[in-house]
Amino acid sequence: MIKERLAELVEESSDGALTAQEALRATVPLTALGLTSVGQMRLIDAIESEFGVEVDLTEDGLELLDDLDLLAGRLSSR
Amino acid sequence: MIVEFAGPDEGTAPLTWGQRAIWEAILHTEPDDHYFNFDRVVKVPGDRSVPEVLAAVRALVERHGSLRTRLGARREPYQRLERTGRLPVTFGAPAATRFDYEREWPLRVGLTTDGDRVTHVTLLFCHLAADGAGAEVAVRDLRMLLLGRPPSAPAPRALDLALWQQGEQGRRVATAAAAHWEREHRRIAATMFPTPAKGSDPPIWRALLHSPALDLAVRSIAAAHGASTSTVLLAAVAELAGRHTGQEISAVLPIVSNRFRRDTMAVVSTLAMEGLFTLEVGLPFAEALRAAGPAALRAYRSAYHDPADRAMIVRAESARRGERVHPHCCFNDLRFADPGPAACEPDEIEKARAQTTLTWPLSQDNLDCRFCVHVTTEGVSLTADTRYLSRPDIERYLLDLESLLVETATA
Repeated sequence: MIKERLAELVEESSDGALTAQEALRATVPLTALGLTSVGQMRLIDAIESEFGVEVDLTEDGLELLDDLDLLAGRLSSR
Repeated sequence: MIVEFAGPDEGTAPLTWGQRAIWEAILHTEPDDHYFNFDRVVKVPGDRSVPEVLAAVRALVERHGSLRTRLGARREPYQRLERTGRLPVTFGAPAATRFDYEREWPLRVGLTTDGDRVTHVTLLFCHLAADGAGAEVAVRDLRMLLLGRPPSAPAPRALDLALWQQGEQGRRVATAAAAHWEREHRRIAATMFPTPAKGSDPPIWRALLHSPALDLAVRSIAAAHGASTSTVLLAAVAELAGRHTGQEISAVLPIVSNRFRRDTMAVVSTLAMEGLFTLEVGLPFAEALRAAGPAALRAYRSAYHDPADRAMIVRAESARRGERVHPHCCFNDLRFADPGPAACEPDEIEKARAQTTLTWPLSQDNLDCRFCVHVTTEGVSLTADTRYLSRPDIERYLLDLESLLVETATA
């Protein structure tokens, strides 16, 4: 469920440039699919406000943001 | 003509962070602060009479509190939202003179007519009321009102934003941003362009590089490295600014829209502010780019800060070193849409280099910076103070930027 919600947030953050379906099926990083830095910032803010976490803006932290399975796993185990 | 408006609300609040930042810039620029005014021309759909267009303007001002808000001046300036008022509307372009911030409404409106029909509405904004993205929200709403389809959801208010910024959540965001400013100020050079020389007359010059090859290269690098085109450009600009000045760490202030949060996306207000981006200079560019992605996001986040915190940090660091600390080096990507990553054949990029042109579209006496890169759909421009970067160096910088990006994309 968390992964599906994250995919919806990707669609919202990218103004529909990436659909939730595309985000769910992604096999490459979302940035490679065209998620812009504005989209990334919106996604980070949406995740932080919805899940009450702070996204780590380091290389490792952001890799997590590119992989919805990993991110959903991390959010559900918090 | 006069538009009499009667909005749903009134009140006062401190200035928002963005308003305070632009207010300080305005004070530095007086009496030439008309520099910050900007306008948008809206084409009027169909056949609309003057009274019909005035009704749409009235509804726009009633909807967006920022357009009914003036500056209040006590010891600290504050914002004063008024419920009712009388907004003058002219025929032809509105005056581009400086605003009377305490007495005048922050919007001037001019109508262009053809017979008894209005063809265009010009909205001239005071920068305390809106930035470019905020003006786009107002323009979009005016178009909807002219089409007879008023937006139904209530508009977010700058007044509420100011109260949020002062509250617990706002302070938490500001504290995190301040930590970034403080940490990075500890390790950056006092300034990127420290040594003045005899400059040109006038001292400020802008060169514009129009380079389809650079555009193709940036998109191609973005595709190869999973980065946005804006990050590729920011990283390249920082890398080369560092190389040209011999700095180990390059410090660049990107102008950031600050419209990432749901409560800021659609507010007619001034939110754009500077963030602080740093990059280790001298790494192979592909490697620099890997570090630049997260560094850019940290810089964007630092842009949503309380200017009072930043001023305190800069003062403390300047006092510690005994010299003023300020990068004087900024980057402004003004494109409304990122063209996105797109792979491109090296031959095609190389071939496009034949179309590169460099022009000098602007020169002036004053600029509150030493090195400003602007990215627009026309190309990449560098506006610099020639006492710190000579005209030949400005030209060399832009051509080096093209070379760095083309060589990276075609390697």
